Amino acid sequence: MAAPSSQHTQIIEISGELPDTGRKICGEATCEFSDAGSISKDSEERSTAMRKLLIAVSLCVVFMAVEVVGGIKANSLAILTDAAHLLSDVAAFAISLFSIWAGGWEPNPRQSFGFFRIEILGALVSMQLIWLLAGILVYEAIARLIAGPQNVDGFLMFVVAAFGLVVNIIMALVLGHDHGHGHGHGHGHGHDHGHGHDHHGHSHGLSVSTSRDVKHTKDEHHHTHDDHTHHHDDEKHSKDEHHHTHEDHAHHHDHDHKDVTEPLLGESKAKSEKKRNINVHGAYLHVLGDSIQSVGVMIGGAIIWYKPEWKIVDLICTLIFSVIVLATTINMLRNILEVLMESTPREIDATQLQKGLLEMEDVVAVHELHIWAITVGKILLACHVKINPEADADIMLDKVIDYIKRVHNISHVTIQIER
Amino acid sequence: MTMEPIQTLNGDFGFTGNDRRFAFSRQASFQQPRTPISTDSTDLGLRKPFLSRTDSSIDIPPPGPHHHYWSGHDDKPSGSLERSNFSSFVLSVFRNIRSGHRYMKRLFFMISLNVAYSTVELLIGLFTGRVGLVSDAVHLTFGCGLLTFSLFVMGASRKKPDGDYTYGYKRLEVLSAFTNALFLLFMSFSLAVEALHAFIQDESEHKHYLNVSAVTNLFVNLIGVWFFRNYARINLAYRNAEDMNCHSVFLHVLTDSIRSAGLILASWLLSIGVENAEVLCLGLVSVAVFTLVLPLFRATGGILLQMAPPSIPTTAFSKCLRQISAREDILEVSQARFWELVPGHVVGSLSIQVKKGVDDRPILEFVHRLYHDFGVQDLTVQIDHAS
Repeated sequence: MAAPSSQHTQIIEISGELPDTGRKICGEATCEFSDAGSISKDSEERSTAMRKLLIAVSLCVVFMAVEVVGGIKANSLAILTDAAHLLSDVAAFAISLFSIWAGGWEPNPRQSFGFFRIEILGALVSMQLIWLLAGILVYEAIARLIAGPQNVDGFLMFVVAAFGLVVNIIMALVLGHDHGHGHGHGHGHGHDHGHGHDHHGHSHGLSVSTSRDVKHTKDEHHHTHDDHTHHHDDEKHSKDEHHHTHEDHAHHHDHDHKDVTEPLLGESKAKSEKKRNINVHGAYLHVLGDSIQSVGVMIGGAIIWYKPEWKIVDLICTLIFSVIVLATTINMLRNILEVLMESTPREIDATQLQKGLLEMEDVVAVHELHIWAITVGKILLACHVKINPEADADIMLDKVIDYIKRVHNISHVTIQIER
Repeated sequence: MTMEPIQTLNGDFGFTGNDRRFAFSRQASFQQPRTPISTDSTDLGLRKPFLSRTDSSIDIPPPGPHHHYWSGHDDKPSGSLERSNFSSFVLSVFRNIRSGHRYMKRLFFMISLNVAYSTVELLIGLFTGRVGLVSDAVHLTFGCGLLTFSLFVMGASRKKPDGDYTYGYKRLEVLSAFTNALFLLFMSFSLAVEALHAFIQDESEHKHYLNVSAVTNLFVNLIGVWFFRNYARINLAYRNAEDMNCHSVFLHVLTDSIRSAGLILASWLLSIGVENAEVLCLGLVSVAVFTLVLPLFRATGGILLQMAPPSIPTTAFSKCLRQISAREDILEVSQARFWELVPGHVVGSLSIQVKKGVDDRPILEFVHRLYHDFGVQDLTVQIDHAS
């Protein structure tokens, strides 16, 4: 591309800087994770998730109030216990809401990656709450068993549990219903923005640069990089304009939506399952677990109502259903654990990546390859690449970054080129 | 070829060897068996004693002629690259426990003691029909489950890094400490609820037969406190991964003993006629547990949140960045991010833009050495040449 367009680029860069100064300054470290592209996409996801959770919480509180009032009037411990379980639901939703909201906080020098991890920790806390509640339920069943032949009203147990079940099903529908929404929305945007935004990001915040020429040279670098990727995808070209002007951002999201999703449609289907916010998913599991346990209590209540001498059935039912509930959380716990252990995310094939890198010419060795996720869906990579001493480090750097971004879709990379 | 990973003990920042904030600060000649980071797995052997008097704070071997700080780690993923299945993992962990260091053995002993005790209590409770005993036994079993998890993690964290877990398994210790801290916070919350419950209800419900079990519980937990007495601080400066895990175990047994002591005290006060004794004691215990556990919770939470290492002050980082950008061939430094894998192991990444045509090797050396002095062992520096 000739000089005029680099002029063009330079001018837009400067004017684009001003609206963003509020957002990006975090001391010396510029924040890749808070660039405008992912902010709007993230905040969209975040606000939908928060809205869903808010609806669920208000429903829950209403039902809980109903149960508390009814329980006090009927003087029934069973109803009050169920109200306490609804309270635990509220607690889980509160944790999820907080995690989602806090995940949007701006990065600062202490938290250079932003607060995305709070989502994962919040999900972990709510999973542990589920386990704790399952344990408490089992304990209660044992206590009921020991307390001996009391006036355990099977019928009341049944009705209360049925009511709880209906409430939980309603909430599960509210939380789980996002099939149309998540589709295609996911990864196309975030990843294509990646590298362009990295360079864009350099001009924000307190960059310690020595001369005014820096901006100029950076833009050219930015530009040559786009040249590199130009012959790889045509959509890139339209994206160049698009990430310069922040105001049009939302617009271009929609415009490029179709362009990006068509070639990637195959992968996007698979990814849209994962794109449900992890905290909403956690709350959903919580509600699901409660429904399962309500079913268990209903069955126990029905059996005791039918044959009051089979008290032990209550305990057995509770145990079985608690185990089922715990089984539903295993998958999520495994995902959480993998992120927290900084392990290679499942969607990335590390061997393939390493092999691909080694196959590039002038690459001698690859070591210290670390791929990890800050939260589900946001992946980072760092590695040291040893190249031939005669090769041009800059070109090799660009090739490597391009390969990783194009083939494996990771845009937040740090590569150390060594000779 | 492989460079020994060096643990600098933060000499620059006022942590001298006799700092009481460290674990083991009372025992001058104690040798803590350290689990090594990468190579062989002998427990004893060539570990320097923690507080040797001639300990110099920065101990870096002089760089050889072509010594690069980064090229030592040739991390070939060991063995299989597919996810290892669970059973082989568990078996390897049990093998590790057998050959474990002293804290693992102590923990194992404590857990067996607890399990035995709670089974006895549960059986007695079931046979005599006392709900209080059963609830106590269940509570103890929860605690045991957590301690077993900690023990498991002590063994599992020794595994070498592999294809999927490129940073190894040391994070598990931080996770286990976090889980323990979370459970203790839940416990403090439930004690508060119990206090409220006792406040609303009549004191006559107090189960005096629980005293025997409380005394035994206290005794068992005090054994645990004695075993882990080296971690007897609230605000511990963590030096490595095991510190966090062991600290969380200590806090667990300590809070359990406080709880038992509180119950015994409440029972005694009730018997001499003090009003609302149970509420007071439970409330006090709840507050005590909360304050004891909060620092651990925040520290582990900070590591799991990828927070910048608390042991290195932000001024140090800014100083580094200024020093780097002060060099004449460097135009800009950006995206400097540091985080701790486990306490003591700092990982960082950094992006530098240099003038065109500048040789990047001396810059790499300089940056790596600079950060190495601060204790950042794993650093990835991306150098962009401005064109």
